[in-house]
Amino acid sequence: MNDTKTVNVQRDVKAELQRQAQTLREESALQGMFIVNMLSSPGAGKTSLLEATAKHMNARGRRMAVLVGDLETDRDAQRLAPHCPVEQLTTGGACHLEIPLVKKGLAGLRQQQGLAGLRQQQGLKHLGRDDFDFLFIENVGNLVCPASHDLAEHLRVVLLSVTEGDDKPGKYPKMFRTSQAMLISKLDLLEHVPFNVEDATTDAHKIQPDLKTFSVCALDGRGIETWCQYLEECRNHMLEQTSNLASSST
Amino acid sequence: MHEFSLIRSLLKQVTAIKQEHGASAVERIRVQIGPLSGVERELVELAFAQEVDSTPCQGAELEIEVIALTVDCRSCGTQTEVVDFHFQCALCSSTDVVIASGDQFLIQDVELQIPDYASTENLS
Repeated sequence: MNDTKTVNVQRDVKAELQRQAQTLREESALQGMFIVNMLSSPGAGKTSLLEATAKHMNARGRRMAVLVGDLETDRDAQRLAPHCPVEQLTTGGACHLEIPLVKKGLAGLRQQQGLAGLRQQQGLKHLGRDDFDFLFIENVGNLVCPASHDLAEHLRVVLLSVTEGDDKPGKYPKMFRTSQAMLISKLDLLEHVPFNVEDATTDAHKIQPDLKTFSVCALDGRGIETWCQYLEECRNHMLEQTSNLASSST
Repeated sequence: MHEFSLIRSLLKQVTAIKQEHGASAVERIRVQIGPLSGVERELVELAFAQEVDSTPCQGAELEIEVIALTVDCRSCGTQTEVVDFHFQCALCSSTDVVIASGDQFLIQDVELQIPDYASTENLS
């Protein structure tokens, strides 16, 4: 005879991955490494924006690195390599990145830069400046699945290029709801397409009233300084919160 | 489409629960999804049907409950349903709201078949 038994679970399917992401987020904050998850549809200009961002960061003496996710090829990594340390994550057909692949990529980056040994000697609690100041994760181009996956980021940014149309936020609510900033990209093409920046912003704010919005053009550099300044502010905020947390726990 | 990877993860978790309780079979898995779960019901069903029989959860039924997207208002304290993904309180129109339900892919509970010889006293 068999008995039936009901086990109450009440747990999100991604709970374990979310826990891993939270741990990495906290560790990275202690090391002063600010993680940015960059999302958009394919061809919205993530790689171009990162090239422009890297040039700007390099000029200011900031250390940034990129993990770039694609289904196949290392073309984006090759484009970014002249500007900053980069590691290609190839998903082999999967439509999004998950935290184990990010951890592997980060380990690869540190190995590449000779940071792994140093970090281990100093221990996690040491707020050393041996690590990167900014880690960008260029997600797979897709406005659907990546929205559901926490990659330990401190900031989630969604890019919307003017060639895609200003009605995208309402069509992909999860992506815009879970982001903290929206970058309208390819500003140089605005005069050629029927894209209304105000309509796109209004639409996005219905879904996420707190969404910060910026307009950028990676090719002519418009908006890049403001964007980088925003990143610095966000990172400073993270550092403040981390040190407050550290002082309140002692 | 990431439903397949999520279903594989779900089946792994349920298999662990099955082993933990010394069950001989999994009869039913109840899950909850909503408009902001990031998964489609049809694709969840398709992925489950294709994956389940190659796992120790073989024969299990999947019961999907679709719930509404609701928010808790931090201004007036009411819980209301979100219409057209316009995130505001339906009562006082405040946009200071937090999601209360409808954004998770939740495993609610699992119905197991427990053979007599593996009853609870043997587990302790």
